[in-house]
Amino acid sequence: MAKRIRSEAAYSSKIRHAVHLLFFQHHRLPGVRGWELKQELGPEWQEILEVLDKQLQILDLKVMRVFDDPNIIEPDSNQLADARFYITLRGSIDQKTAKTIGWRVDDIAGLAVSIAYIISKQGKSPRVEVEKILQEKLPGWRVKMNIDRYIQQGYLGEDEKGILFLDWRSRAEVDQKQLVDLIINYGKKSSLTEEKYTEN
Amino acid sequence: MTQQKIESELKSVINLCKAVTSGSIEPFDIDVDYILSVIRKHYPELKNVQELCTDASALKELSNVLERQKDWIQYKTTTLYKDPFLLNQQILKMEISNIAKVFLKSWRPLVEMEQISAKTLAGSLGYWADLIPLNDRWKEPDLMLIDAEIATIEDAKMLGFLPEEGFVQSLEAFWVELGQKANETGIIDYWDWIGADTYEETVKRSYLTVFLVSYGYANIKIDQLTDSIEISYNKEQNSNPKQSKISIPTMVDYEEWKKWRKE
Repeated sequence: MAKRIRSEAAYSSKIRHAVHLLFFQHHRLPGVRGWELKQELGPEWQEILEVLDKQLQILDLKVMRVFDDPNIIEPDSNQLADARFYITLRGSIDQKTAKTIGWRVDDIAGLAVSIAYIISKQGKSPRVEVEKILQEKLPGWRVKMNIDRYIQQGYLGEDEKGILFLDWRSRAEVDQKQLVDLIINYGKKSSLTEEKYTEN
Repeated sequence: MTQQKIESELKSVINLCKAVTSGSIEPFDIDVDYILSVIRKHYPELKNVQELCTDASALKELSNVLERQKDWIQYKTTTLYKDPFLLNQQILKMEISNIAKVFLKSWRPLVEMEQISAKTLAGSLGYWADLIPLNDRWKEPDLMLIDAEIATIEDAKMLGFLPEEGFVQSLEAFWVELGQKANETGIIDYWDWIGADTYEETVKRSYLTVFLVSYGYANIKIDQLTDSIEISYNKEQNSNPKQSKISIPTMVDYEEWKKWRKE
């Protein structure tokens, strides 16, 4: 049976409901699980999110989904139900805007280095190693404080053995491939990477 | 070699392998052949269950290292892999502001709001106004000793503790009422049907409606998209064969009832 296509207007009340669910924090952590959205929006919840994503495009926002297992590429219905959905910025922000939302340039750079280093170590790295690389350019007291802040905000996680890993927020907010590509190719005259991502 | 030394060597092997699985040591920094030779060398000398368990743990941890090595090779083949040394060198070369600029290009911050709306504020004020003061809520109940008397069924009916008629009679009367109120197609909006002057009466009508549907005197149609619910009248007791035989929870939300009353 051909899939029934509904107009955006038919979804309007459901879309409003989805906006309330996704924009406002309901739990300790932001975002809403797939099963919660299904429960609230009905069986067509994924189509509703698609329409919402399309409508958010003009506001430079998007509906982002993050799986507990970062290796999932083609999710099944159970994995979609467990996934966490967020609203994120669609494009990038400039340094001036970042400052106005409470991020110093040192903090941003420290986070970038921590995430890139952990990615290069296959997603796990001892805290002392991350601290060592950050201490190359930041004062020691600031390094410890910054890592604690990244952990508190959900960008990094730390297990009982002092191993750092990328936590939910990095998976939701950071385009990991793009970040590593941009760092590796930074300053290369012939590199088109930076231009490519700038255009995007 | 003493048993103590054998156990100590096997435990060292276990700790080394665990360091790989925790990420402290790179998977290929370990010489698997050498570790295997250590385990093999000690195996004939193991004497009790405790030592055999340690040997088995060492083998298990070594297999975890092999798994990490496999993952590492797989990861290296992905587009995400970049040489950590190269990455370190590049980070050291870059200025802090440039690292920040690069990060901002790949950063999509979350959007979340914690703003209270005028509607929720008004609702909260209404709740506050209706909230009974703590002194009243926590005060000791006033108990009064009264003489109990015997009441007849007629008395109970008069006082409203028992319905005037039996449940089946109530349901049949309710069915007849549905037939009168529904339009020519036999359909009526859910709220127009259950809605009454008092909230208690509305709940009662909703309760009876559930039985009308369950017994096949009426059908219920719920549109998930528009949130509309309709009740259709059956001239004869006949349940909709397409409708599955399940209990239907119906909402009788107090706020919804107040809204319906205003309309």
